[in-house]
Amino acid sequence: MPIRVAIFKPGLDSHYRGALTVTRYLVSRGMEVVYLGNQLPAAAVRAALQEDVDVLGISSLSGNHRESVPAVLAELRAQGGEDIVVILGGIIPDVDRPMLLDAGVRRIFGPGTPLAHIAEKITLLVRERGGSAASVPIGSLS
Amino acid sequence: MTSRIAGASGAVVTEKATSPVQRWREQYGSETMPARTEAGIPVAPLYGPEAAAGDYETDLGVPGSPPYTRGVYPTMYSGRAWSIRPLAGFGTVEDTNRRLRLLLAEGATAINTVFDYPTNRGYDSDDEWARSDAGLGGVAVDSVDDMVDLYAGIPLDEVSVSLVLSHPVAAGAILAMYLAAARRRGLDPAQLSGTLQNDFMMETVVLTAPSVLEPDFAFRLSMDVTEYCTRHLPRWHPVSFTGYNYREAGADAVLEVALVVANAVATVQAMRARGLPVDAVARRLSAFFTAGSDLFEEVAKYRAARRVYHEVLTDRFNPVDERSTRLRFHVQTSGSALTAAQPLNNIARAALHGLAAVLGGAQSLHVSAFDEALCVPSETAALTALRTQQILLAETGITRSIDPLAGSYLVEHLTNQIDSRVRETLATIDEMGGLVEAVNLGWVHAQILDGACQATADIDEGRRPVVGVNLSANQAPTAVETFDVPETLPRQRERLTRVRSRRGNAAVTAALHHLDQCVVDGTNTIPALIAAAEAGATLGQCCDVFRTRHGGWRQPLR
Repeated sequence: MPIRVAIFKPGLDSHYRGALTVTRYLVSRGMEVVYLGNQLPAAAVRAALQEDVDVLGISSLSGNHRESVPAVLAELRAQGGEDIVVILGGIIPDVDRPMLLDAGVRRIFGPGTPLAHIAEKITLLVRERGGSAASVPIGSLS
Repeated sequence: MTSRIAGASGAVVTEKATSPVQRWREQYGSETMPARTEAGIPVAPLYGPEAAAGDYETDLGVPGSPPYTRGVYPTMYSGRAWSIRPLAGFGTVEDTNRRLRLLLAEGATAINTVFDYPTNRGYDSDDEWARSDAGLGGVAVDSVDDMVDLYAGIPLDEVSVSLVLSHPVAAGAILAMYLAAARRRGLDPAQLSGTLQNDFMMETVVLTAPSVLEPDFAFRLSMDVTEYCTRHLPRWHPVSFTGYNYREAGADAVLEVALVVANAVATVQAMRARGLPVDAVARRLSAFFTAGSDLFEEVAKYRAARRVYHEVLTDRFNPVDERSTRLRFHVQTSGSALTAAQPLNNIARAALHGLAAVLGGAQSLHVSAFDEALCVPSETAALTALRTQQILLAETGITRSIDPLAGSYLVEHLTNQIDSRVRETLATIDEMGGLVEAVNLGWVHAQILDGACQATADIDEGRRPVVGVNLSANQAPTAVETFDVPETLPRQRERLTRVRSRRGNAAVTAALHHLDQCVVDGTNTIPALIAAAEAGATLGQCCDVFRTRHGGWRQPLR
């Protein structure tokens, strides 16, 4: 079973370059990825559950992560999606990271992170979780 | 074969069949590595006069005369410096007003206000979509009252004000609020000078949102603004084609220019259809380009852009007024070329980007702050960026002579290459039926996304070196204090409550109903937006009218 990923942009953050670049790359690595566009937290979580994803990726460059990410995590708990691995990408100042990681974000990827690194981490996180048997070859990754 | 070309000295030289450069290539060519510019143009290790072949008079000329390759004004910076126009906007109008006044006091000669995500997208700050983005990426403006306070103490009849409100869904409403605010201060709108970004590509291609307007309707709204400004605001630039943002999203330098020119063509055509001749419209159009890291390609880009723009507008519309084909542009140095890693390196990068803009003849410049990849610029970072412009202007001497790289074999070669590649791209867009159709078809989205993915792969795989990212990346992290945007939503809620309690709701309802009628019957929406703003309608109320009728377009993002 390939790893299933949903990626969305919370609120009105409007820069899609990173989200789409990651989406395309993960697809090229054999994952099934759905890009959900802009979503409010509750709707993003509903879509993630409907799509039965292993991973929910939040892409935030506007600074709205302080509000939106905890709201997404709360929705996951409320809707029974605690198993979903939450990752975050974008412009996330160092000072905010401990709060987000404590709240349940599994991994934060800043600007300049190589795409192969993101794919590798996703694969490892999903494996650790004991979910789908990952079919993505990781041997070639650094 | 002999060719007449412009040598480095500006004098015409004649060369013979086998040039010294050809002999050099035969002898040493095999020892050099093949190279390409960022846009993929092959670059030889040595150029000679033949690379710049062409007719000086028709290809270059003098500044201020067609084809404007060397500059749009006769004296360029030797007559008047570029406008030092730093970008500012965050938090509430009080926060941004303070920053604008600081920048003006410290040497800015014009201002450039950027609006937050909800304002650009036409949502009130307390909308459920907007709450987590209020005051981020720009200043929150919800009503005329906000607009009045935003520019308190700034002489709007003297300072040129650029409004970075890019999305047509909200551009008209924000212009309406600006005009209403100016009137409240007793100013005649005809005296106002400035620019509104107002580019339908921002709405439909470059950025994304919960409810995107259909391209035809987004374009129509942007043309409502352009028509209104052309008829009523003689000193205002109604649109600034956002080449910068096309590029930041993934376009290369060639596509950046081609999309700007195609957008200008679409605009002039649309205005003709509304009864405005090319000369009434084209002289107030403006553009906005990036300055990236490939120095000579960037300089060549600006030069080629001016030439192609002049020739395309001349061929297609046959204007009489010389000003109609002058491409005037603002430059913002690239944000995406700045790195989160080793952020102080960005001061050097932004200075080099700014150098490219000045060597390329920009009319106005914003240098990006070194903390751009980390946060909204701190005061220190914003001032360092301002000082970078002052260093370029006052210390380097690069403004003494106009278009100083003209006659460089390399730069003339690149200028010609970009020129011909832009024309090829324009032909492709024409075949699709013009820019609005190319957007409808998803062609522009695909080009930009392909470019973005290629650029990321080039960096990840080491083909494009970036210091601190894939080269010398192991330095211990430098701590940079990041700027915290002051909490905006509670203060903005108070302001909205005040506006909503003071206005007459019947008047607002009537104004919004009239706006909706204009949407349906095709009447220009700007007078209705001004009436709505004056009645106290909030931004979100006005933009909901547009979204209700024409929102929900699915962007072809794959």
